[in-house]
Amino acid sequence: MNHEPNKQNNRKGLLLSIVLIFCILGTFVYAISRKISREMSDSAIQSLSESLDLIECTIEAILRSEAEFQVLIAQKIAQTEDPEAYIQAYEKNRTMSKISLILSGKTEGVSNSGERFTAEDLDFSAGGTVMGLPVSQSYVNYMGTWSYTIKCPVVRDGQEIGVLYAEYIYDAIDQSLPDGFYNKQATLYIMDAESERFVLKPEGMGMRSAGHLNLADFYRANSIQDPDIQTEVDECLKSGRNILFYHDIRKEKALNYMWAVNGGTVYLVGYVPLEAIQHEGRSINQNIFVVVASMLVAFLLCIFLYYCNWQQQEKFREEQELERRIHSQQLSEALQAAQIASESKTMFLSNMSHDIRTPMNAVLGFTTLLARDAEDAAKVREYTKKITSSGQHLLSLINDILDVSKIESGKVALNLEKFSLNDVVASVDAIIQPMAKAKGQTLHIDVNGVRHESLLGDETRINQILINLLSNAVKYTPEEGHIWFRIIGLKQRSSQYERIRIEVEDDGYGMTPEYLETIFDAFTRAENSTTNKVQGTGLGMAITKSIVELMGGTIEVTSEVNRGSLFCVELELRILEDQTDRQFWEKHGIRRILALIGSQECRENIRALVTDAGLEVETAGSLEEALRLLPEGDFQLALLDWEAFDGVQTARDIRKAVPSSPILFLAEYDADGIEKALKNGRAGVLTKPFFLSAFRQKVEELWSGAETPESQQDASLEGLRFLAAEDNEINAEILAELLSMEGAGCEIVENGQLAVERFQQSAEGEFDAILMDVQMPVMNGHDASRAIRALSREDAGRIPIIAMTANAFAEDEKAALAAGMDAHVAKPLDLGLLKKVISQCRKDAHI
Amino acid sequence: MKVNGFFPRWIALCLTILSAVTLASCGADHPSNLLPQDDEDQRIVNLFSPMEKTDPDAENTARSAADLTVAMAEDKLGVTVAYRTYTAEDYQDKSYDDVALERARSDMDDLYLLNPDIILKLGMEGKLLDLSDIDSAKNLRDIIRIANTVDGKLVAIPQEVVAYGLFVNKGMFDQYGLALPETPEDFLECCRVFKENGIETPVGANRWWLETFVLAQAYADLYNGGNTEAEIAALNSGEARYSDYMRPGFEFLKELMDRGYIDAEKASVSEAIEGEGPDFLAQKTPIVMAYWGAANTETAYGKTDFEMQVIGFPSSRGQMPVMPMTGLAVGAEAAHKEDALQVLNVMLSDEALQIYSETNRVISPSKNVKVDCVPALKPLNDRIEEGIYVLGSNAGMRVEQWGNTCLIVRELLAGASVEECMAAFDRLQDETLAK
Repeated sequence: MNHEPNKQNNRKGLLLSIVLIFCILGTFVYAISRKISREMSDSAIQSLSESLDLIECTIEAILRSEAEFQVLIAQKIAQTEDPEAYIQAYEKNRTMSKISLILSGKTEGVSNSGERFTAEDLDFSAGGTVMGLPVSQSYVNYMGTWSYTIKCPVVRDGQEIGVLYAEYIYDAIDQSLPDGFYNKQATLYIMDAESERFVLKPEGMGMRSAGHLNLADFYRANSIQDPDIQTEVDECLKSGRNILFYHDIRKEKALNYMWAVNGGTVYLVGYVPLEAIQHEGRSINQNIFVVVASMLVAFLLCIFLYYCNWQQQEKFREEQELERRIHSQQLSEALQAAQIASESKTMFLSNMSHDIRTPMNAVLGFTTLLARDAEDAAKVREYTKKITSSGQHLLSLINDILDVSKIESGKVALNLEKFSLNDVVASVDAIIQPMAKAKGQTLHIDVNGVRHESLLGDETRINQILINLLSNAVKYTPEEGHIWFRIIGLKQRSSQYERIRIEVEDDGYGMTPEYLETIFDAFTRAENSTTNKVQGTGLGMAITKSIVELMGGTIEVTSEVNRGSLFCVELELRILEDQTDRQFWEKHGIRRILALIGSQECRENIRALVTDAGLEVETAGSLEEALRLLPEGDFQLALLDWEAFDGVQTARDIRKAVPSSPILFLAEYDADGIEKALKNGRAGVLTKPFFLSAFRQKVEELWSGAETPESQQDASLEGLRFLAAEDNEINAEILAELLSMEGAGCEIVENGQLAVERFQQSAEGEFDAILMDVQMPVMNGHDASRAIRALSREDAGRIPIIAMTANAFAEDEKAALAAGMDAHVAKPLDLGLLKKVISQCRKDAHI
Repeated sequence: MKVNGFFPRWIALCLTILSAVTLASCGADHPSNLLPQDDEDQRIVNLFSPMEKTDPDAENTARSAADLTVAMAEDKLGVTVAYRTYTAEDYQDKSYDDVALERARSDMDDLYLLNPDIILKLGMEGKLLDLSDIDSAKNLRDIIRIANTVDGKLVAIPQEVVAYGLFVNKGMFDQYGLALPETPEDFLECCRVFKENGIETPVGANRWWLETFVLAQAYADLYNGGNTEAEIAALNSGEARYSDYMRPGFEFLKELMDRGYIDAEKASVSEAIEGEGPDFLAQKTPIVMAYWGAANTETAYGKTDFEMQVIGFPSSRGQMPVMPMTGLAVGAEAAHKEDALQVLNVMLSDEALQIYSETNRVISPSKNVKVDCVPALKPLNDRIEEGIYVLGSNAGMRVEQWGNTCLIVRELLAGASVEECMAAFDRLQDETLAK
């Protein structure tokens, strides 16, 4: 854990080191660059000096050659008899524009231009000489160009006979100078030192558009206004020294020069931009910069590559570490899961052993007692009752185990059919109410906000969910406790689906938070000193959750120890509209009803449901209100909340107000005193909660005038004769005995083949139905059924064939029906159920 | 991993290309002669022209315009035009005209930019080539052709029609409630008001351009009266006297000097613009005279802190522009005569004059080139467009006007009387006609 700060420190150190290296490198490069610049600058100054020296020497050489030539002419003149004639005959040329002679003692002379010549306009006062010959100040000559004159004495026999004046033009010097220097970036003027006039700008020396008049103009045009420099230059001009100085010309650093020629009579004046002088130095510096930049880029590239590589390795290492951790975690979890599974299964087996042995022990024990007390009818009945109870418990245990097995292997399929919420609630109520009553518990059933009762879903599985939840609530709630069963209609997400929340709440033992985490795991069961007396497989909640999720729903639970638990299931079920509603009410002449209901919520619920069905409804919260509404309301039916009012008295009052209209009492299961009220005119009982379908059914019954007791629906088997295919002798015997107890006859065959043959041989009507086991040797039940249905006998197609098998799943039922059977009854046999199924099948077959 | 794998490949590719380029750059072939080969047959044309003093902080537009046309000629012909110049340091020095005259007579250069008096002198001496045959001459306005024809030869062609006028500080005129002067009387009145309001010298002048006042008054009727040819013919024959034409202008100038509206002493030693320019720019002097291009270039009056207007000189016919003709000429014995003619042909082509006129915002000598002028020049331009102007020089007059009038005005500045000046004109006319 302490590695991170160390790593950061190392990185900071590395970064600082890199920065330091770069700083040192930068300083080193800068120092070298400066050194090179200085050296190149010195070298360039030297080079410039040499160039100027060369120009100086060239000009001085020209001046010397001119002077030498003039001396020669003077000697020649001295030898001639008529010097003036010689001069007049002398031909003009480009270099020597004019040659003149003034003989000694005269003020005027002759020149080769033909005119008279005087030396008055020539100024030799500056004292400049070439090879000892005086040189005049520069002037613009008759050709309109700058020129100078050298005078040379003409000596004959040691005596000066005159002075020879030769005029030279500066343009002649231009021809001997280079065509620019420093790549024509240098500017050069030739200046007459005495007058400071610029007398020549040689070809290629500086900008052609710049023409300077004199030194002052040069200063002004190039902004050389520093008095120190000007003073220094003046001193140099006076003493004939050279001067070089730095000064910016048009914002560019330049080296300015004043270079003395011929002892300072003439000066070379100009400047060279420093860039031109240091061209090589700059180029070298640029190259050094490029090399350093390249190295820098290469170095940064290496660092970048190193960083990328390091990051990649780090990422790879982290991935590996993560993978290892995940792997370890998975292994650990797997081990833990395996241990838990092992423990759970051990516990499950232990539980199963206990749970199976307990009823088995009861069965065997009571069987022993039954054998002993066979003569005592009362004891036999008691023992058989207990044996039946133990057997049923064993059966539910086995069913649960099989369910879990199927769900876990993903083989469960939902059997989607039309069902009514009313039926679901009614059947659950019928099962749970007795259990709750037995424990002295109160079961409150409440349905609110459900707009559609007729839905598409697996009714059996929904029943299973509700019974699991409610039976648990009953199990884990002490006596005199309360259980609330609510179905709440939620806001629809789609108009085609009804969204409902099922809540099962109790004020029982509750669960610890630890247990809550595993409540939906298989093979777990809440156990403590209070609940360990409760029978259970520990599979119910796992099955419930699996079924809910299979239906696309959710299940949640909240619980607190000794405060109770709340299970919430949310489901979305497709709506199936019942189009016959309006016609039903019209057929029975019902348009308007009065509902005297205590709870506001219940009133609203009933109003919504009844209005949706096409009826008008007036609701009243008190008897007075109801009595006020009744006389003028033209109601065809009154609905009275039994528990909310004094049922009997209220019923009487209502009856007085509407002597002929039927009254329906909305009452809890098994409400007290209701029988008395039923005797008072046309009336019926509608079990809470209010469902429209149940309401319709009750109306139907009231209007038809009789309520069919459920018991009456049971059909008697007396006098019927069955063909039963059963390979198990015990089962065959039990079946035969049971049927004989009901007064029915039964012929047993051992397999399907025999069943087919026996039916083929039988006379028409000899058997009322065939009871067919499925798993049999020779020919199984399905094949046998198909064979029977395939027979050419007239009754082969309609004789009821009922599957009786231990294969109790929905798929098994489907397979049986597909094989041509009419119904499916699971083993072990429930005689009541068998009677009901046989009766229904016979009815369908019109037998 | 895929993204990370991209970088090494990309870097490797860059390094490979860099290496290849670096290696390729090392493999240059060396010629056997290491020196760069210059063009041995370099053609040079020497151009002698004035050069205004270089101002480090200002752009010389006029110079730039001429340079552009020179560069065009160099590009098209492959010649190099070398500039030769001369600038007088002071009034005691030889003038540019003097030097130009001497250089042309000595065949020192090939091309010359000359003032009208020099053109006339050299033309009459036969020192200038006849330019009638060059292609560009076909596009010239008639006035240009007439003003530069000497003895039937077209001896010079300008790149711009130079018009002189009065440069006035409009703000100062407005300040004293003065209208811009039309006649000499108006002008005197304006000067009086300025003088009374503490402006010491209302008119800034130099030793070169005061003759414009004189010429405007002298020839306003001659050039705008409808009888120009006959009047010139009378002058050339001696029937009419130049002094008669010149007198009103000289008297007017004399009056200006006498009343102190012009500082004669200062003017006689002042170079153009250098002398009077600073006071005008500083708004100490409300009136100066100058040429058209001065209104466009920063080295003259192209950038003022006040509203400037350029109007004609006062005359009996109102504001009068004076148009002398400077021009480019080729020496008759020039060393590079043929090249000089070709260079001139390009410099005076419509294409070059278009560039010149657009850059310098001047009136072009070519009838095919039209350019808008700067607002300050509009009053002067309007008069020229109306056809109302006076020629400052006319090669058709036997007596040269521009230079001679300038010299005689200098005598007036130096203290000569009007009568003495008129006598000088008479003498000049007699001498010329006697030749």
